[in-house]
Amino acid sequence: MTVHNVFVITKNTFKETIRDRILYGLVAFGALFILLDLFLAKLSLGDMVMIKSFGLAGVYLIGTIITVFLGASIIYREVEKRTLYFVLSKPASYGDVILGKFFGLYGAAILTVLLMAAVYLGVVLYQGGGFDARGFVAILYQLLEAGFFVALLTFLSAISTPLTSTIAAALILFSGHFMSTAVENVKRIGGFTKTFIDAAYYLLPNLEKFNVRNVVVHHVPLSLEPFILSAAYAAFYAAVLLYFAYAFLKRKEL
Amino acid sequence: MYGRRAVVDGVSLVIEKNKVFGFLGQNGAGKTTAMKMMVGLLRPDAGSVSIAGRSVLESETREIIGFMPEAPYFYERLTGFEFLKFCGDLFPRHRKKTGAEYEALLKKVGIFEAKDAPIRNYSKGMKQRLGFAQSLVNDPEYVFLDEPLDGLDPIGRREIKEIIKLLKQEGRTIFLNSHILYDTEELCDEVGVIHKGKLLYAGSVKDFCSGKPLEDQFIATVEAHNK
Repeated sequence: MTVHNVFVITKNTFKETIRDRILYGLVAFGALFILLDLFLAKLSLGDMVMIKSFGLAGVYLIGTIITVFLGASIIYREVEKRTLYFVLSKPASYGDVILGKFFGLYGAAILTVLLMAAVYLGVVLYQGGGFDARGFVAILYQLLEAGFFVALLTFLSAISTPLTSTIAAALILFSGHFMSTAVENVKRIGGFTKTFIDAAYYLLPNLEKFNVRNVVVHHVPLSLEPFILSAAYAAFYAAVLLYFAYAFLKRKEL
Repeated sequence: MYGRRAVVDGVSLVIEKNKVFGFLGQNGAGKTTAMKMMVGLLRPDAGSVSIAGRSVLESETREIIGFMPEAPYFYERLTGFEFLKFCGDLFPRHRKKTGAEYEALLKKVGIFEAKDAPIRNYSKGMKQRLGFAQSLVNDPEYVFLDEPLDGLDPIGRREIKEIIKLLKQEGRTIFLNSHILYDTEELCDEVGVIHKGKLLYAGSVKDFCSGKPLEDQFIATVEAHNK
């Protein structure tokens, strides 16, 4: 595996990804969705908490949809369309491919999230809320989650079809965000349900670690430590998923 | 092995330098699988492939080979030039290749005018030529071409054949899979005939044909094996 080849594949994947016309449509839709915040601002009589909550939720929701759209077939397409032949018959390894695809797709996901974040920050500024630096912190946490999510999609697309990858990613995303709430709730129920939910809680990633949207809009103090821990958590999960993606791809019959 | 079936079984080939070797066989005979093993895309369950005395699985060996897959698919949103540069950049020894060098290669295969157009707008023949160009991007000593004349019109076929002849003149070794026997006869010094994964013949075209057309001899060889 060489850093140079990873970089070459990253650049190629990024270029390919951001030239997708459907992506432009999705980003435009996302921007419009966030602009709805202007309408909401009127309804809520300029309530900044409402405006920021809706805006940040919009950036998260559309950003996640775009990431799934871009990533659900990232490796599958390479195998099915046999474009991998061009890469692997050259001095490039399976590891180069997995990492290059991951970083290229992650770069595209970061770009689209930042574009929508710019619209969000513009809306808050227009509504007299100034530069929402705390909102930007929530976006940074979202980018950490996106890193995990892109790695998950890279892994899923190496082992299954785009439809299966999309469904599995959506389920993991859902459970990742609701498992901590579920753990609290099953404490009262107990028995097998509690054991099952506890096991799932430890097996599945806890994506609530990346959700600080409520914290930032309600002005709860922020510190650097949880951010560093969340970054390490995302990096660990991403590394494990990418390793498995590599192992599965290597065993695949080309 | 594919399941319990050996797709390529006991194939032993030694190809001399600076020869054009044609690998002939029916659809599903094992030509493409054998070629994929030769360029390191597949690992044989048993046996090995060596090029210039080194295993093809070594990264250094892939520095000196070029491979064009059959009916290639591309990154459709890239331009022809970008794709070629992407392929070139994967070779450590060719990273410093200039734009002019890539353009010269595109001129060589006859798609220079379309260099800045997205590949999705290319015709089948243009894609075939681009696939051919990327196999030469590292100036390889050994060129593997899987059905290089497929999908080309007669003029395109003639042009590609001229390039193959030129590559031989430049001292390269060419291994090509083909089912267009007329062209193979014209291009190749040696042929191998593969049928149901087994090698039926490997040697000079002259000896194989013994004065008869290659196509007749090929059919006779395969039918004799089927009896």
